[in-house]
Amino acid sequence: MAVVDVAPSDEPLQYFCKSKCFSQYVTTKAIKRMETYRVRGSIAKAARKLLFPLSFGPSSASLLYILDQHLQGQYDRMNRAAYELIVVHIDLNLEAADRKQSSELLDQYKSRFPRHTYSSLGLEDALLLDNIDWTALNMPEPLQNDSKNTGMDKLQQLVGSMPSATSKTDVITTLLTRLLVDVAKRNCCESILFADSTTRLAEKTLTETAKGRGFSLPWQVSDGMSPYGIGFNYPLRDLLKKELVIFSSLTIPPLTDLIILQGPSSHISASSKLTTIDDLMAQYFQSVEENYPSIVANVVRTSSKLQPLSGDETAACGLCGLPVAEGTDGIDGWGGDQNSASRASEQQDGKHKVLCYGCSRSING
Amino acid sequence: MAPVPCAICKTSRALIIRPKNHQKLCKGCFITIFEEEIHHTVTTTKLFSRGDRIAIGASGGKDSTVLASVLKTLNERYNYGLELVLLSIDEGIKGYRDDSLETVKRNAVQYDMPLKIVGYDELYGWTMDQVVEAIGKKGNCTYCGVFRRQALDRGAKMLGIKHVVTGHNADDVAETILMNLLRGDLPRLARSTSIVTGDESSEVRRSKPLKYAYEKEIVLYAHHKKLDYFSTECLYSPEAFRGSARSLIKNLERVRPSAILDVVRSGEDMAKLVPEAVTGISHCKSQKVSLSSADGEEEGAAGCGTNGRSSGGEMADMEKKLQEDEEASSREVEITSKVPNGVNGQRHDRIGAKPESRNGVKREPGKKLTRQTLGTCKTCGYMSSQDICKACMLLEGLNKNRPKMEIEIDVEDEESSTLRRKMEGLALTAA
Ligand SMILES: [Zn+2]
Ligand SMILES: [Zn+2]
Ligand SMILES: [Zn+2]
Repeated sequence: MAVVDVAPSDEPLQYFCKSKCFSQYVTTKAIKRMETYRVRGSIAKAARKLLFPLSFGPSSASLLYILDQHLQGQYDRMNRAAYELIVVHIDLNLEAADRKQSSELLDQYKSRFPRHTYSSLGLEDALLLDNIDWTALNMPEPLQNDSKNTGMDKLQQLVGSMPSATSKTDVITTLLTRLLVDVAKRNCCESILFADSTTRLAEKTLTETAKGRGFSLPWQVSDGMSPYGIGFNYPLRDLLKKELVIFSSLTIPPLTDLIILQGPSSHISASSKLTTIDDLMAQYFQSVEENYPSIVANVVRTSSKLQPLSGDETAACGLCGLPVAEGTDGIDGWGGDQNSASRASEQQDGKHKVLCYGCSRSING
Repeated sequence: MAPVPCAICKTSRALIIRPKNHQKLCKGCFITIFEEEIHHTVTTTKLFSRGDRIAIGASGGKDSTVLASVLKTLNERYNYGLELVLLSIDEGIKGYRDDSLETVKRNAVQYDMPLKIVGYDELYGWTMDQVVEAIGKKGNCTYCGVFRRQALDRGAKMLGIKHVVTGHNADDVAETILMNLLRGDLPRLARSTSIVTGDESSEVRRSKPLKYAYEKEIVLYAHHKKLDYFSTECLYSPEAFRGSARSLIKNLERVRPSAILDVVRSGEDMAKLVPEAVTGISHCKSQKVSLSSADGEEEGAAGCGTNGRSSGGEMADMEKKLQEDEEASSREVEITSKVPNGVNGQRHDRIGAKPESRNGVKREPGKKLTRQTLGTCKTCGYMSSQDICKACMLLEGLNKNRPKMEIEIDVEDEESSTLRRKMEGLALTAA
């Protein structure tokens, strides 16, 4: 067991004394999850392409650092690497000034870790995806080009039309995932490496549960093939957020300049109107992580045990794209709806489009 | 400002904002829709059959009082053909139940329902006051908890009734779902989501017709119907995991009113995703979970009121347990491992836990799953995962005039860690 887990109350100074050991612990935990991407055999095979979403947070910065070293090690020993990283930053900022800052930061990453391919997209590029049911969001289809509005305007409009702060965050998260899957496919990547920590995955477990997307947990926190036909991997799933924050300051040189820290507390607003479910859960697990790190990990272990339903007829949700078992779509017509008329009337209008419970809740408030 | 008309009848003035969806309603429409929704739950889940005798677990509190009132109303309005009986438990703590039992007695008259009050003395031969006298003030909470879990079912059995309904509401169910996620208990999570617990094998089924009703709406209904209930704030802090889940639910409701229902929905969906192999046992080795739904207090049970419980201790205990597990499984990892000082000295061994389950083979939680079978207690015939049920174990100890030590404490004993310490203390003084 690592020093940090054993004595979470250690003074930062003590961490520094043990920094080498600690850094190795973090690296080992992450690399252990990359077992499948070892160099095997003597015959040179084409490197497998993996998409690496870079958010500039401490976790993705740390993972990039670790994998960069991992690849260096493979080159040193075998003169070839088992995989290559396609790094992509999706910009969620809607202000031009912020975007300039992001692209400058991305340049810093390029010069620090030059061996990888880098690209950057704005979230508005998700509006061009043709596998999303835009009518459900009251948005024009991507091909109906209205030149008056830029993608950023349209995105702003879409987000602005959501009924609550939680719904806004939810639709942004959904579009982000769908865009990443699209980028991965266009770049012929076999998997996406998400830098989610244990803490983040625990947050996600409870956030999705609270949003009515409990059905989707088998695909939200587990390693393996996603319903989108591309692998999802979480190499940092055995590390706490606080461990990664410390790690990012212990590398030589530290990653600190490359990181944009976004503490959950900065999002928590005095008004419940502006607070999101995501904020609540982030704040909650930040405090649980302090005193009960193993309980955080146990939440993730628990939700990872859930298995997708097999054999049921499913249809992809028009927004998040996750498989929805027949007859379980929408927020109407289940036990908790208690209104026998709601589902019947909905189905009468002919073109009944499938939205999962969670997406339906986000759109309908 | 002009008065807002009711969103349903469009004529009366809206006086109530529905907590569930913020719909503005008049008093009459609110009462109607609240009742109709429960009718919807009862009919779509085929909860009752004509001629059923139903015991309403009545504590005199708001939930069970509203349940009794609504079931009476619906039984008459829709001619369910049910025979409704109020069933109350008297723990035998002088003064503690006086007010609430008086409330239940008045309810029996108001609703014209037969009332049966079963005492612990009648069920177990011991009142709680006598238990306290025998074992002292410490640790009696566990006796009360274990006895209470079976009391409603045993009471129903005495009355020859096969179905007990309880006042658990949507907030309770949502809270239990989050709590079980936090403590990593998928079997319990799965069970807590179903409206009826107990299968064909159980003599007494339990159900919660208010499963989808918001606590705030229950309070509003009781208020507007001027129901006679006993409002008592529980003086005792809930067990740590439950307390944590409870405050999360309250915060979620504030951020998105539908969230309580959304959590219930998630729980129902997740119940279908729990792999077969997991349903029989918790993630936590050596913490046995019985398959019986009836002996587990699933939702928001209040403490027995005779003893405060430590808050936070349960989380700390579990944290420690999990760390020990992980420590054991990471010994072979090639990293300098440091064992925290003193851990070995202060291990929390479970009472009577068999040595093999303690020092057991290294088992990564959740990887190897064993199944547990449900049987019945050899002494009383009540469902139990052990040969002798917990109540009988405790009784045996009491009847020998000393606390019984060889008890495997189930995870549902929220007070187990406290009990453990207290029983250890007892053993010393008894020796
Ligand atoms: Zn969806
Ligand atoms: Zn009205
Ligand atoms: Zn027994």
